[in-house]
Amino acid sequence: MPSSQTPSIAGLALDPTSVRSEIADAEILRIAPGDLRAKLEALRAEGFSMLLDIGGVDYLGREPRFDVVYHLLALPAKVASLAEVGTPRRIRLLVGVPESAPSLPSIQDMWPSANWAEREIFDLFGLTFEGHPQLTRIQMPHDWEGHPLRKDYPLRGPAREATPRPAFALKSNVPAGAPPSGKTAAALQKQIARARGQAPAPDGGADS
Amino acid sequence: MESMPGQFMLGKLDDVARWAQSSSVWPLTMGLACCAIEMMSVTNSTYDIARFGSEVFRASPRQADLMIVSGRVAQKMAPIIKRLYDQMADPKWVISMGACASSGGVFDNYAIVQGVDTIVPVDVYVPGCPPTPDGLLYALNLIQAQIRQGGRGGIFAKA
Repeated sequence: MPSSQTPSIAGLALDPTSVRSEIADAEILRIAPGDLRAKLEALRAEGFSMLLDIGGVDYLGREPRFDVVYHLLALPAKVASLAEVGTPRRIRLLVGVPESAPSLPSIQDMWPSANWAEREIFDLFGLTFEGHPQLTRIQMPHDWEGHPLRKDYPLRGPAREATPRPAFALKSNVPAGAPPSGKTAAALQKQIARARGQAPAPDGGADS
Repeated sequence: MESMPGQFMLGKLDDVARWAQSSSVWPLTMGLACCAIEMMSVTNSTYDIARFGSEVFRASPRQADLMIVSGRVAQKMAPIIKRLYDQMADPKWVISMGACASSGGVFDNYAIVQGVDTIVPVDVYVPGCPPTPDGLLYALNLIQAQIRQGGRGGIFAKA
């Protein structure tokens, strides 16, 4: 499912540095994983004191496959005028992470708020963070297998993906040939078949 | 009935017990998702679940008779719900409130249990997304009718 479609989508577009660099309220920087900590320390010294969030993105088919996005905020220590209050500086750091080496240095010693954010990315994307004190799952059950926000993770879970998705009519508790208040199961199945562009069943009965 | 000395009523003890039980089905304080908002609204004066004796939402499953599964059940929540159900004393009833609790609803994905009846036995399903408070009250009425008409309940109550 993902392999046929996703590369074109990812290749088209979803590189935020090219598409959205003109966004006014936040500068976007793309850096290498090796420069991450040094760059973050420099930004922090520059006044970006708050780590708002860390996000993960899976561009399946792109190289590097993953992006990890660090959102920083510079809270002004002193506000010169009232107009400055609502406009703190923001910056976003994008770090590409290849699937072959899915690991980044942890920054939870610099910002404790990174602790849970990094656990979340580990949980949902399977990226590891070197130096994290307790890199365990935080959202999914601890015995869960796989990392659900990866684009090649089956939507309904690995166990159920193999079984066919039940049609609405089959889930319905309307018995076949049921009275007129609702649609019969057969009518519903015909409606579904028509919606999917298949030829309706040849019995020619009324639909409702 | 005007109270006068010497008046009395006769009845089967089991009927009296069933009347008392069906008039005091105490739900468990447990809200899972947006259906819980509708569940809470049945306690307000517009719908007033107290008319049926079920306004006492108990914070402990040991004191609750009714579990209202009000919303989608995440895979992570499922063992907790099962445990709460096991902690409730017999006889106990379960209402599956809304499309998600009954069948997974629109959440046909890895994270959501496809119907809470795969975990606990359900007595009444309430359709809707979310159901109206009236729908939930009607489900409660069905459980009350079930108790009065000889379902689980009475002095020889079993699970």
